[in-house]
Amino acid sequence: MTHTDGEDYLIEQLRAGDPGALEPLIARHAARVYRVAYGITRSAEDAEEVVQDVFLTLVRKISTFEGRAALGTWLYRVATNAALIKRRGKRAQVEVSLEDHLPAFKDDGHRDGDRSFLLLDWSLKPDEELLSSESRATLARATEALPEHYRAVLVLRDVEELSNEETAEALSESVASVKSRLHRARMALREELTRHWSRA
Amino acid sequence: MNCKDAIGVLADFLEQSLSPEVLAELERHLADCGPCRAYLETYRKTVELTGRAEQIEMPEEMKARLRSLLLDELRGGRS
Repeated sequence: MTHTDGEDYLIEQLRAGDPGALEPLIARHAARVYRVAYGITRSAEDAEEVVQDVFLTLVRKISTFEGRAALGTWLYRVATNAALIKRRGKRAQVEVSLEDHLPAFKDDGHRDGDRSFLLLDWSLKPDEELLSSESRATLARATEALPEHYRAVLVLRDVEELSNEETAEALSESVASVKSRLHRARMALREELTRHWSRA
Repeated sequence: MNCKDAIGVLADFLEQSLSPEVLAELERHLADCGPCRAYLETYRKTVELTGRAEQIEMPEEMKARLRSLLLDELRGGRS
């Protein structure tokens, strides 16, 4: 990720204390920071606090911002950390073990389970069904039930569409860890959606 | 390649980062395995739905509060 057009100038403006820098910075980055914060905390109130903390940190620390990373990458990192801290006290309330949501295999490595469930392919259903309020609620519950570090990876990769490398940088984790968590998170969500459509 | 191996490489398959050898093995497995074909398609759709369902907007009143907070901070910092 590199500096986008005009970002260096905005950083210089902010360093000089020029309020004119605020509006373009908010316009460029606030929505993305909010989406990441909400994606991890699952609370609009907590997400707003995270956004405010992130931008206050930006204003206060702009004089020491070295610009080695693009501002966007730096904001993702600070937002993710702040959201994970915010979430820390709440994790036991809703999160469940991932193991119950991963595919089961026989000893020979073939899938185990009811054949009609294994063959269920709901992917060709029309959008209005796949994005119905009931289906969205299933997906939202499954996302909320993920362990927080898995959800953070999912939000950065599949919502913000960062690369594995950018996500690893934002989370201070290895690329291998990001890839493993992403795959397990996706499998858990797929399982819940499949259970949903098997009952529908 | 069995089902466990096939499902294990789906993320790399979607990123088109499998080696030609592994890709060929996966394609052979998928050709013979209905459950894994269903798994691949629903896995792929799950990724798409997650991206679409989570595209939430930051409310305008929150942006206004953020703007006000930062202006106060800048003014306070300079005084």
